[in-house]
Amino acid sequence: MKRFGLIFLVIVFSAISSATMAEENYTFDLSEIEKKPYHFGGYIEARPVLYGLDTDAALYKLRFFDDVGRRALLEANGRVLLEGSYEKNIFRVFARLNTDLQYNDHTHGMERTTFYEAYVSAKPLTSVKIDVGKKTLKWGKGYAWNPVAFADRPKDPDDPEQAMEGYIMASADFIRSFEGPLKTVSITPVLFPVYDHINSDFGQNNKLNAAGRLYFLFYDTDIDIIFMTGPSRPDRYGFDFSRNLTTNFEIHGEYAWVTNTRKTVLDSTGMYNLVEQDAHRFLIGLRYLTSFDLTTIIEFYHNSAGFNRDEMKNFFSLISQGFDAYQIKGNRTGLARAMNLAESGYARPNAMRNYLYVRLSQKEPFDILYFTPSLTCMINTDDLSANIMPEILYTGITNLELRLRAGIITGPGDSEFGEKQNDYRIELRAGYYF
Amino acid sequence: MLKIIHFVLAIVIILPVYAFALDGTKLLREIDRNLSPESYESYRKLINIEPDGAKREFTLFTVKKGIDKVASVFLAPASEKGRSTLRLGDNMWLNIPNVGKPIRITSLQSVVGGVFNNADILQLDYATEYDVSKVEEEDAGYLLHLKAKTKTVAYDQIKIRADKQKKLPTKIECLTEAGMLIKTLYFKDVKDFGGGLVRPAVIETDSPLYKGYKSVMIMAKVKKRTFKDEVFTLTFMPNLESLR
Repeated sequence: MKRFGLIFLVIVFSAISSATMAEENYTFDLSEIEKKPYHFGGYIEARPVLYGLDTDAALYKLRFFDDVGRRALLEANGRVLLEGSYEKNIFRVFARLNTDLQYNDHTHGMERTTFYEAYVSAKPLTSVKIDVGKKTLKWGKGYAWNPVAFADRPKDPDDPEQAMEGYIMASADFIRSFEGPLKTVSITPVLFPVYDHINSDFGQNNKLNAAGRLYFLFYDTDIDIIFMTGPSRPDRYGFDFSRNLTTNFEIHGEYAWVTNTRKTVLDSTGMYNLVEQDAHRFLIGLRYLTSFDLTTIIEFYHNSAGFNRDEMKNFFSLISQGFDAYQIKGNRTGLARAMNLAESGYARPNAMRNYLYVRLSQKEPFDILYFTPSLTCMINTDDLSANIMPEILYTGITNLELRLRAGIITGPGDSEFGEKQNDYRIELRAGYYF
Repeated sequence: MLKIIHFVLAIVIILPVYAFALDGTKLLREIDRNLSPESYESYRKLINIEPDGAKREFTLFTVKKGIDKVASVFLAPASEKGRSTLRLGDNMWLNIPNVGKPIRITSLQSVVGGVFNNADILQLDYATEYDVSKVEEEDAGYLLHLKAKTKTVAYDQIKIRADKQKKLPTKIECLTEAGMLIKTLYFKDVKDFGGGLVRPAVIETDSPLYKGYKSVMIMAKVKKRTFKDEVFTLTFMPNLESLR
C-alpha cells in the first residue's frame, strides 16, 4: 500500500512539475532588433529539371535538329543571389548580384553573373526619394503579365515571382497624402538612358528616354497612369487599377497603348514582312480567397500585336521545311531563317493574342502544415493549347523552400503549346535564404 | 400632487442609474489608449507554436498613426526580411521585395501563418472598428460586448474582459456573426514600456479552428512617435525599414 502511495505522489509531483514547465516564459532579445548601417543576405538555389521531349514538335526540330532521336533532357540549374546595403544619413547603397548556372548534355555549361540591381538612394524628406542606378520598377497590377511595365524586362508568366534584372535609370518618388476620398497621390518621373553598355538591349542606341507614373488611391482604388516616350522605343501610354470588392475578392486590370510597334511577319509563301501598327494590350484579373484558404487567381490577357494562328502556322511550316532540308541535304538555311524569326518574337513566351491564366492554390490542406499544393493553367484561347502546371510547395524548415513542379503540355499540332519542345517537364527547386 | 410625487420618485430612481451607468465607448477608448499611444512605433516577435512544440518566429517593426494607418516590415527570418504590410482603413497590401509591387491582401489571410491573421497583425484601435453594444461590470473587471461597425471587419463580434483598475484587456474572444468562437487572445505580463505606457507585453492566442496550435506576440520598445501621412502609402512601403 505504501508503495502505491509513493507511486501516486511521484505521479502527482511530476504532473505539477510538467505543468510548471509548460507555462513558458517568452523572451525577446533586443539585440535581435538592433539596427546596423549595413545588411548582407542572399539566396541559393538548386533546380534540376527533366524535360520529356516531343520529337514531332516544331520547336524540338529547331533546337535538336542535330541531335534527332533525343527523347529526354536532364538539366541542372543553380542560382546564387547575393545582396547587400549600406546606409548613412539620407543615403543608401543597395546591390543585388545574381549568378545563374546551367548544365545539360546538349548545350553543356553556361554561367551568367550580373547585377540585377545596384543603385544609390537619397531620401531628403519622407515624401521624396531619388534613386540612381540599376533597378526594377515593376509597374502594373497583373500577376502573370504586366503590359504597363514599360521600363522593365518582361517577366516569365510561368514563374512570375522570380527576381528580375533591372535597367539603369534615374528615378524619383514624390508622395502626398490627403484626407477624404483621394488619400494618396504619388509621382514617379524616370530618366532612362540607352547608350553603349547602358541598357543597350532596350532599343535604339545613344538616346535618352523619359517615363513616368502618376499613382492615386482614390475611393479605395489603386490607380496608376503610366507613360514612356523617347527615341529608343515607340511611345507607350497606359493605366492600371486594383480594388477590393469585398475583403476576400480583389479585381485588377491594365491597359497599354503602344504606338507604331513593329513586328516581322512570315506569310504563307515564306516571305518576311515588316508590319507597323498600334498595339493595344490589356489584362483583366481577379484574386479570390475562400474561407477554407483556397486562393484563385484568374487573368485574361490580350495583345492586338501578337501573332494570329495563320502567322504562327507559317512559322511552324518554315521550321518543318528547314528541318527536312537539313535532314536530306544538310542545308541549314531554312533553320537559320527560322532561328532568326524565333529570336525576333515568334518563340517568346505568349507570342500570340489571347491567353487565360488560372491559378488555384490551397494553403495547408488536411492540416498539413507549411504545405501548399497549387495548379496553374496557361491557356492560349486562340488555339486552345495549354500548359498545365501542378506543384507542391513545402516551407516547413525556416528559410528553406522546396518546390516540386510539373508542366504538362496539351494541344494539337500547329498550336502554340502543341509545338513546344517538351511533352512534359518535371522540376525540383530547393532554395535557401540566408 | 400625485403627478409631482411620481415625477420626483422617477427622478430619484432613474438619475443614479444614468449617473453611474458605464459609458462603454469611453471605456473602450481608454482601453485602446492604455494599449498603445494613438501614434507609435514598436517591435514585435510573433511565434507560431505547433502541437508537437515546433516553433516558427517572425520579427516585425511596426508603425501606426491615427485611427486607420498602420504599417509593418519584417526584420527576420531571412526568407521574410524586407516584406512589408500596409493598412489604410479597410485596405491592406503586402509588398514582397522580389515580386516588387504591393499586392492587395485580405484581413482574414495571414502573412505569417499560424493563428494570428492580418487583422491581428495590422490591428487598429478597437473603437475604430467596433461599437460597444453592452458593458457588464463584474467583480474583478469589465466585460465589453462589441459589434463590428461594418461587414469588412475581420470579426463580427468581440468580447473584451478588462481589468477594472488598469483598464487593460486580460482576455478577448473573437466571434462570428452567429456567435461562433474564432479565437481567444490572452493578454499577459503587464510591463512598463516607459513614457507612461504600462501594458501587457505578451499576447497569446489559440483557436478552436486550429486545435493544438498557439501563436504568441511579444511586444518590445513600444513608444510614442509621430509620422508623416506619406509613410502610410504604397510608394513608401519598400522604404519602411528606413524609419528604424
